[in-house]
Amino acid sequence: MNSRNRITLLIVTWTVLVSGLHAYLNINWPAIINDYLPQEKRKFTVAYIPVTCHLACPVTDYISKFSKAGEIFLPKMFQGFPEIKEALISNRVQAAFIVAPLAIALKAQGVPIRVVYLGHRYGSAVVVRKDGPIKTFADMRGRVIAIPSRFSDERLILFRAMKVFGIKPKEIKMVEMAPPDVAGALAAGAIDAFSMGEPFPSQAEMGGFGRVLFNAREYWPDYMSCVLVVRQDMIDQSPDAVQVLVDGIARSGLWLEKGKPYREDAADFVGRYYFNQNPALLRWALTKPLDRVMYSPLAPRKADFDLVRDLMIETGVLDQKIEFEDYVDLRFADHASIRTAWAYEPGGAQAQ
Amino acid sequence: MSNGLVLRLWEEWFWPVLAAGIFISFWYFSVKWSGSKVFPSPLDVGAGISELATKGLLWRYVLDSLRRVGEGYVSAIALAIPSGLLLGWYPVAAAVVNPTIQILRPISPIAWIPVSIVLFGVGDMAAVFLIFLASFFPVAVATMNGVRNVPSMYRRAGRNFGLSPSKLIARVVFPAALPQIIVGLRIALGVAWLVVVAAEMIAVDSGLGYLVIDSRNSGKRYDLVVAAMILIGLAGLGLDSAFRRIEKMKSVRWGFRNEF
Repeated sequence: MNSRNRITLLIVTWTVLVSGLHAYLNINWPAIINDYLPQEKRKFTVAYIPVTCHLACPVTDYISKFSKAGEIFLPKMFQGFPEIKEALISNRVQAAFIVAPLAIALKAQGVPIRVVYLGHRYGSAVVVRKDGPIKTFADMRGRVIAIPSRFSDERLILFRAMKVFGIKPKEIKMVEMAPPDVAGALAAGAIDAFSMGEPFPSQAEMGGFGRVLFNAREYWPDYMSCVLVVRQDMIDQSPDAVQVLVDGIARSGLWLEKGKPYREDAADFVGRYYFNQNPALLRWALTKPLDRVMYSPLAPRKADFDLVRDLMIETGVLDQKIEFEDYVDLRFADHASIRTAWAYEPGGAQAQ
Repeated sequence: MSNGLVLRLWEEWFWPVLAAGIFISFWYFSVKWSGSKVFPSPLDVGAGISELATKGLLWRYVLDSLRRVGEGYVSAIALAIPSGLLLGWYPVAAAVVNPTIQILRPISPIAWIPVSIVLFGVGDMAAVFLIFLASFFPVAVATMNGVRNVPSMYRRAGRNFGLSPSKLIARVVFPAALPQIIVGLRIALGVAWLVVVAAEMIAVDSGLGYLVIDSRNSGKRYDLVVAAMILIGLAGLGLDSAFRRIEKMKSVRWGFRNEF
């Protein structure tokens, strides 16, 4: 064999080997096949990030696989909100769990989406270093605090606390960080505090380097953070599919409220198969105490959203008074209200 | 010009401007015809740039990025050229250290981001450290090789004139190695500019890299994202042409053995 043939053979072998391994190991075939199915059979792709605010998404996916109707949608995990936003804008995902202010801001900027449901209530906290200089919120002056996005309730909760303590916006420095990075940044001393959804406050607590300064509900009694948004074209083209999705999330929320064993089971399978987090961490976040995060009631409420919108305008991240009816579609939540929890027992092989 | 084509004075400006104009109109019409609601047209981007200018952010961000590159780059040179000279001068030292350098060199400075945040916290120092790393290795390696490649005839001639080792390095070896050092310097500057953008995306809250990430975080503001990209390109072009000016200076060209 001359050298040219040898090189050709080498290149061909390499290409085949690498492509084969890639196809076998990396490619998510159901997602690719889904793109080529006819419209009525095609499934949604629903984006989420590994926080308990979005827990109902993987829970629904996991349990629905045991049901007769089978899985409802294709879940897709992201690591931060900017990526989800881009996927949503470019129609790579049709529905997503995002923070409520981001949903309002995107709609105000002309992205065709609607809020159809909430993801959870409560479950965000402000965490400081355990032996650090911040003892009360008044010590927060001049400190650096991480937030998931400028369009987040985790940021707004800080402003609410700042009002109580008479701290001016310029006195605290907020930096935007991907949620999975904050616990490490706090441990390394790169930030003084963070305001995030679970399980990252729990992660800092479990790791022994963080202390919850306050939970969101202390300054915001009906706190809600992440919401489920769906692209308008999906709502118009297949409202039934959207209804099935919302029903599934509603049933998962009720299921998660059935008690501790159910939450522990959710922590187990979500940690293992979805979030790629230690199940013990999720167990901590979901059960210490049980109402740290709540998954019912999840129907959007005008008063909550008006509060978020007004805070956004007040803190300079929204420039128009967009109305609740313009960015929320309530009919799916209304229908979902008759639903009951999944009939699924931990470890079981059937769901209804 | 090697192929004998000589551009007249007006042509030196005309053709590049025409090429850029064609590119921009291609961009404009692709956005228009594809009906994209997300990707901005050149007009949107122009409006974005002027929005940045009126907010007073434009110059502040450009200057912040340039300052960071300057700090990291200059401190890297200050350390890299002497160590390169030493390693080139003492082949045994080079043989000892070179494998380590060759392992550290291909590590992207971006990969150092977590380490630099742990070492220097979130702030200027972390970014400057990354630029330092990015600039250090190209310059050190280029200097080392440059010194090694100085014809031994030069050294012997220097010695015959009775130069002390330190003078020999300063007056003969360094200038003779300069062409290769300059190549290293220019590569390092290019890499430093690539790295500052990445570093600013994470560690700091000003500069052009921060502008990209900040615009991305502010919802659907891709006009500002692309505006930041264009500013990065323009500033990089400015840096490179400034460097070419230095390269053309007479005192720098002493060591060029073949005029090219």
